Amino acid sequence: MNKHEVTESSRARLGMRLRRDWPLLLMTAPAALLLLVFHYVPTLGNVIAFQDYNPFEGDNPFEAFLLSEWIGFGNFETLFYDPAFWDAVQNTLSITLFQLVFFFPLPIGLAILLHSIGSSRLRAFVQGVIYLPHFFSWVLVITFFVQMFGGAGLLAGQLRQHGIEPWNIMTNPDTFIFLVTSEAVWKDVGWGTIVFLATLSAIDLTLYEAAAADGAGRWRRLWHITLPALRPVVVLLLILRLGDALNVGFEQYILQREAVGRQAAEVLDTFVFYQAIVPQQWGLGAAAGLFKGVVGLSLILAANKIAHFIGEQGVYQKT
Amino acid sequence: MSTIAPAPIPRTSATRAAWEEKPSPVTQLGKGTILTSVVVAVLFPMWSIVVTSLASRQTINEAGGMVVIPAELDLSAYVTIFSGGQVTRAIWISTLVTVMGTAVSLLLTVLAAYGLSRPGSLAHRPLLFYFLLTFLISPGLVPSYLVVTGLGLKNSLWSLILPSAISVFNLVVVRAFFMSIPSELVDSARIDGASEWRILMGILLPLSKAAVAVVGLFYAVSYWNAYFNAVLYIDDNDKWPIQRVLQSYILAGQSPHVAGAPVNLPGITAYPPTLAIKMAVVVVTVVPALLVYPFVQRHFTKGLIVGAVKG
Amino acid sequence: MIPKYTPIELLKPDIPGEGLIPSGYLHYPTHLVDAITDRPARSGQAITTMSPAWGPNPPGLGRNAYLAAVNGELGAPINPSVQDGNTYADKLSAVLGARDVPHLLCVPSWEIDRIPRFSQAVKALFADLTDHLRGDAASAYPMLAALPTVAWQYSVWSGRLAAVPFPNSGPLPWALFYRKDLTDRAGIAAPKTIDELYDFGRRMTNPSKGVWAFGNLFNMVQMFFKCPGSKGGWRKKAGGGLEFKFETAEFRQALEFATRLFQEGMVHPDLVASKGADAKQLFSAGKMIAWEDGLGAWRGMQSEQSKVTRGFDMHPVPVFSAVGGEPLVWGSAEPVYYTFLKKGLGKERTEELLRVLNWCAAPFGSKEYELCLSGVEGKHFTRAADGSPVPTDLFNQELATPPQYYVLGGRAAVEVASADVPHYVEDLLAYTRATIPYLEPDLFHAIKVELPANYSKTIVTTEDKINDVLRGRRPLRDFDAIIREWRNTGGDEGRAFLEKILADNGR
Repeated sequence: MNKHEVTESSRARLGMRLRRDWPLLLMTAPAALLLLVFHYVPTLGNVIAFQDYNPFEGDNPFEAFLLSEWIGFGNFETLFYDPAFWDAVQNTLSITLFQLVFFFPLPIGLAILLHSIGSSRLRAFVQGVIYLPHFFSWVLVITFFVQMFGGAGLLAGQLRQHGIEPWNIMTNPDTFIFLVTSEAVWKDVGWGTIVFLATLSAIDLTLYEAAAADGAGRWRRLWHITLPALRPVVVLLLILRLGDALNVGFEQYILQREAVGRQAAEVLDTFVFYQAIVPQQWGLGAAAGLFKGVVGLSLILAANKIAHFIGEQGVYQKT
Repeated sequence: MSTIAPAPIPRTSATRAAWEEKPSPVTQLGKGTILTSVVVAVLFPMWSIVVTSLASRQTINEAGGMVVIPAELDLSAYVTIFSGGQVTRAIWISTLVTVMGTAVSLLLTVLAAYGLSRPGSLAHRPLLFYFLLTFLISPGLVPSYLVVTGLGLKNSLWSLILPSAISVFNLVVVRAFFMSIPSELVDSARIDGASEWRILMGILLPLSKAAVAVVGLFYAVSYWNAYFNAVLYIDDNDKWPIQRVLQSYILAGQSPHVAGAPVNLPGITAYPPTLAIKMAVVVVTVVPALLVYPFVQRHFTKGLIVGAVKG
Repeated sequence: MIPKYTPIELLKPDIPGEGLIPSGYLHYPTHLVDAITDRPARSGQAITTMSPAWGPNPPGLGRNAYLAAVNGELGAPINPSVQDGNTYADKLSAVLGARDVPHLLCVPSWEIDRIPRFSQAVKALFADLTDHLRGDAASAYPMLAALPTVAWQYSVWSGRLAAVPFPNSGPLPWALFYRKDLTDRAGIAAPKTIDELYDFGRRMTNPSKGVWAFGNLFNMVQMFFKCPGSKGGWRKKAGGGLEFKFETAEFRQALEFATRLFQEGMVHPDLVASKGADAKQLFSAGKMIAWEDGLGAWRGMQSEQSKVTRGFDMHPVPVFSAVGGEPLVWGSAEPVYYTFLKKGLGKERTEELLRVLNWCAAPFGSKEYELCLSGVEGKHFTRAADGSPVPTDLFNQELATPPQYYVLGGRAAVEVASADVPHYVEDLLAYTRATIPYLEPDLFHAIKVELPANYSKTIVTTEDKINDVLRGRRPLRDFDAIIREWRNTGGDEGRAFLEKILADNGR
């Protein structure tokens, strides 16, 4: 809409649209209100990113937010001048990228595979089993990997019995990215299939029937019906994952950080933990949070643009 | 409304639709191998967890850690966890929070997802961005605490529900499902004079059962696993949810460290939890997931016919 | 300003303590003293508290016989809020930041070290106790007046007495424990020199049997090489000024030695691979022979494991020096916890709360102590033949670790024998007695220090880099560069800051 057109007619149109759309607004209102109260109001506290926040300034906690010394972009400077911060950002993005390629497609493939099982009982069993590791803590997941592949683990024991000196899978910084990805796959591949299974189950079966009648084989049906049906959800999740590019997890890395060293295992969240949370530098932590938000938003906007370009809807639509 | 007739075609066990060809032996072998290895990769550790939770200390010491071959049936880890009633009580509290929370979350999410599902409606874009932005910037600890206590929710179970009631991720997923439904369905219903409410309840929801089930599962799991909000907002030890209570068993006897050095806590004898207790805690956490999944999964298996819209 | 020290001794110890060495009792007393006859709380108003615990969550008021019994003695309905000690920092920063503190707030000293501007928090949130407790005024609270002076000295913020301390009973943070039963069987004695320690590692490691000699032990190695430890590692230089342990030749030697242990595969791979690995389980199972932990780990593990493994016997390796002269050990007399009182409650209420803390601080030999630590006879414990309390299941369910009221008020430390660990008290006191003389004097004894943020952060970063050297990811020759970076990114700032503190205090 052109900005100069704020005229009688556009006001009338507004009235008409309001009359038409008020039920939609009403339906959106409760969720919006909850977010306002529990998200946006406390988010105002992020002003401390521009402060040397002192929680004990003034007579009450609100005064503390107002009266703490304003230092402009000082916290951001502290972050951006620290090479370790950029190391952490780089590690995080590498891991995200790596997992987008080697992890993201796996649940899709597995979901398609599961969907193709004829026996619904077998399918239910497999699904019910493979999503369980999602409920294990990272400590437990890593314990299993250590027991299998660690220097005192099953594999190493077998190798020693055959006179081979075992190599260090769990402590090698160069292969750490494979290790964390394997761990993540084991923990969450089953969990990740759920959204795709739901999507697949919504496909109109008559489409397959019609295609089969037209002589389309298994692979062609996969190509022309199954994959297109999955595409919007895949694109959506891909975009959301990109928005989350600077979050790759925390506990998994903090547990293995000493084993492979900071160079390989420092991600943004562990960096913020050691540099801002532990020493309780709240302003610095808030600045890092804002940085993450801005990067995430830019990535989502960019990815969405690309999605529109290739004819997908993405998270929000073209105007 | 007469234009649609969602009718499930039950795919009964081990039957194949008439139009489906028999898979080749190679395909079957490939599928079988992949699925078997995936299942074994989960079941083997799961087995080891259960066996360890039922093992005596001697057996665990002999194994040097996780036990694979069961030697006896020692229930003492479970007795420890369930004696005193705190865990049972916490299970009820978490069940209550999960059921109420999931209901609230699902209702609000479905409503908002529908409200946001029509591009071009009034304030559609700004509202959508309003939701998406929450996804990217998270509030700090102290401000959140101030809001929750300011509303008088401290020590109330609502403090475990309301602050985390809306997941924008889930909302966007439901919205995508709504939007993937052919718009002809909605349009024709509207021409017939159906209200928005009728369209949502009568057309979109029945067609999006799977999505709603998935998102319901996501919400339920996050309420069941909720931990940190309880740390902040629940002072009353009798109102702790299950994960908070279970965690207290796992962390028992861990001595705190001062600047990297452990502290001797006077008058306390530290008894670290046995590995059996830790594994019993895992079992207690996983069992509800096992119980709930079949109910969710039921909604996946029904192929839906989206009536004769175009015909 | 400090309360006048008026010791109470209800019982004669079998092994009298002195200074930082706790008193030892080899028998449980047959007669307990009723040390406090008045009801501490008279207003009948509820008192809110918050304290840390490391163990299962106990039931709250109304479902807990322990709380009912103690509240009956105190005369006030108290429903203690017990928070997980491992997430206490999060909870604390929320309640401090929102200024939503309970009447009695127990804060571990290590959490205080992490909170910037804590002295301002004290001013904004907590009652000034100076007038209630200074000098002779403390005689109104005899149990508090019996707390050691050094603990009170640490309880002063900005020149005012602000908290009731829980005195430190074990100034020695680390001990190197080893499985004496297993080494005896292998015919290897506890190492007395650094070469013997290395030899111990070589001979006890046997990967094909799944056994490794060591867990983490870098802190102990640093002590063997006599690295300084005041406020994390400072000492006075010969020519004046301070130097940090990273800058000393001793640290470099310690690092070189420990690196060799890692390189030659003497450290258990599970512990090398994950922070979440369970060192105590490996030690109990005999898969790892020696590792460093707090002395507090001793009693519980010895008691539990002797029921499981016949002859299980763990001991601390006596400290020795790797660089000649007498050995050196780190330690600090700083209290373990502080209990703060909420500000602005009025004189009478504050006095009431102090009387409650006075009750909680009753020492060993009193009925109050037994109730506070062990609960009610017949419910929470039964008596062994020698009269000592034997905990029941109800004890484990209803009392937190540490017990809800016990943690609020400290008392002089004691070690009391029990049948499950027959020689423990003698062994512990013998080790403590042999080790305390080598305790490095704390340069910052009884001084409140709020370290600059840059300094604290650079310690973390530098320890990461040193860890890289230790694990063999970086060569030892990088060490000089690491130390240079440390100096430039906050190390020198910390040095100047601490030197000024010492100068201000005339040390």
